Amino acid sequence: MENPGEGTRPGGSLAVYCERVSFSYPGSERPALSEVSLGLRRGEYVGVVGPNGGGKSTLVRLLNGLLRPDSGRVRVSGRDPATEPFEVRKRLGVLFQNPENGLVAPFVEDDVAFGLENLGVPRQEMRGRIANAIRAVGLEGYERREPSTLSGGEKQRVALAGLLAVEPEILVLDEPTSMLDVAGRREVLERLEALRAEKTILHVTHHLEELADADRILVLNGGELVAHETPERFFSDTNLLRENRLVLPFVPRLALELGLPPAKLRTPEELAGAILARTGSETRTG
Amino acid sequence: MRLELRDVKYVYAPGTPFEVEALRGVSLAVEPGEVLGIVGGTGSGKSTLVQHMNLLLTPTSGEVLVDGVDARSLEKRELRRRVGLVFQFPESALFAPTVEEDVAFAPRQLGLDEEEVQERVRESLRALRAGDLAARSPFALSGGEKRRAAIAGVLAMKPEVLVLDEPTAGLDPATREELLALILDLREAGISVVLVSHDLDEVAEVADRLCALHEGRVRAMGTPAEVFYRDPTRAPATVRVASLLKESKPEIIGVPVRFEETLAALRTLPGV
Repeated sequence: MENPGEGTRPGGSLAVYCERVSFSYPGSERPALSEVSLGLRRGEYVGVVGPNGGGKSTLVRLLNGLLRPDSGRVRVSGRDPATEPFEVRKRLGVLFQNPENGLVAPFVEDDVAFGLENLGVPRQEMRGRIANAIRAVGLEGYERREPSTLSGGEKQRVALAGLLAVEPEILVLDEPTSMLDVAGRREVLERLEALRAEKTILHVTHHLEELADADRILVLNGGELVAHETPERFFSDTNLLRENRLVLPFVPRLALELGLPPAKLRTPEELAGAILARTGSETRTG
Repeated sequence: MRLELRDVKYVYAPGTPFEVEALRGVSLAVEPGEVLGIVGGTGSGKSTLVQHMNLLLTPTSGEVLVDGVDARSLEKRELRRRVGLVFQFPESALFAPTVEEDVAFAPRQLGLDEEEVQERVRESLRALRAGDLAARSPFALSGGEKRRAAIAGVLAMKPEVLVLDEPTAGLDPATREELLALILDLREAGISVVLVSHDLDEVAEVADRLCALHEGRVRAMGTPAEVFYRDPTRAPATVRVASLLKESKPEIIGVPVRFEETLAALRTLPGV
């Protein structure tokens, strides 16, 4: 009875489904996650934010089966990560914060192949997948480079290629840019942006501006899901931001302070343009 | 203390096929009681540079001077006490069963009596607003708490210069702001702080002076306004907005860098 047809599984056709999930680390007094329920539809792009210790990383680890919930249900494409971790990891790939920790092989192409090697993919198909994945992250020509000689942004793109080679339908991004410099962040974000059309994405980040395009933003604080908003409402809700120790980056914060729409103005150029438009209309009318 | 680097060059793996010239002649000084920001992209030499400040790395050529004296002539232990270096992700070095014991480890190595050790532990934790963490296991703390515990361990050595290599990486924005406030507290207490960061926005908020590194050389040095307005494409968001507006509104408002300054300057524009 555990495995009826797709439509009647817990979570139905949702890509990711959590129902009243709780988890406590051994020896800790308070739960890291407490009765969290959420669902991701296929193709959605959902952001997760919240303070350190809010439960974001715990959620990620429950989704890929590194942790098992104390109570409640987790399903990834209808499967339970705690009992079928390998099946789940074919469908859900996690890009972690520190690319250094994930790179193991002597050459870039071996690293990209690493995740595939345990899946029993035929040799010929592996080659094709590796080539596609390397192309998707823009690292053609890097196949025989040693990962240790790459920049942070390049390393993170190698790690991303390794995930893509497995061809998961869901990508979980666990602060993938927090260790990168400005150029590295931009590289990685551009590649992730290009993947939005084909993947379901859950993006954990402290950089709120990365979520201005998200379909929804979830806020985890103290192990609880405390809010669930569109970017427009989220960026303008100063109380929600403050209560959850969230800080808008300078551009939307300046916009908000000046009474301009914070979620619409993402770059200094856009903000400067909006300010000029205002001063312009003032000189015309005044 | 005044810490000075004169024409420091550093080559990794010299004479091998892997030879890399990480520093190509860097000169700078950390003045007493200032916050010096060091910015630059990955591979610009930031981390190599700061490891010269307490001679964890010895220059291939050039010199490091402490109050004008060649640092190589000083006792290494004493130099490393006076110049405290906090690496990236310092929490990975936490090891003791409680935060208190972890922070006590280094001062105990100095041979201080136990009362003095305990006093320093209390002081350092208080300076980092981490007094409530003393009895807890470092492994049960959140990322920001761990970071503060690790920094407290270095602060307990009573350094005169505290070097922080990417201290806010991976922290949530509110914790990051708290840590920046702590840096200003430390400066108030007379400690010089060297803040290495790739986040221009945060450096802009706290640095008195800036050194921008590029490919192992000093690309620019000066106050944040001098450095950032010289090349606004490589500046924090505040400076980019203000300099874009200056093109058509030259009457704007000086050269604001910090968030509050910039907001105030923008508010002076008619219609805003």
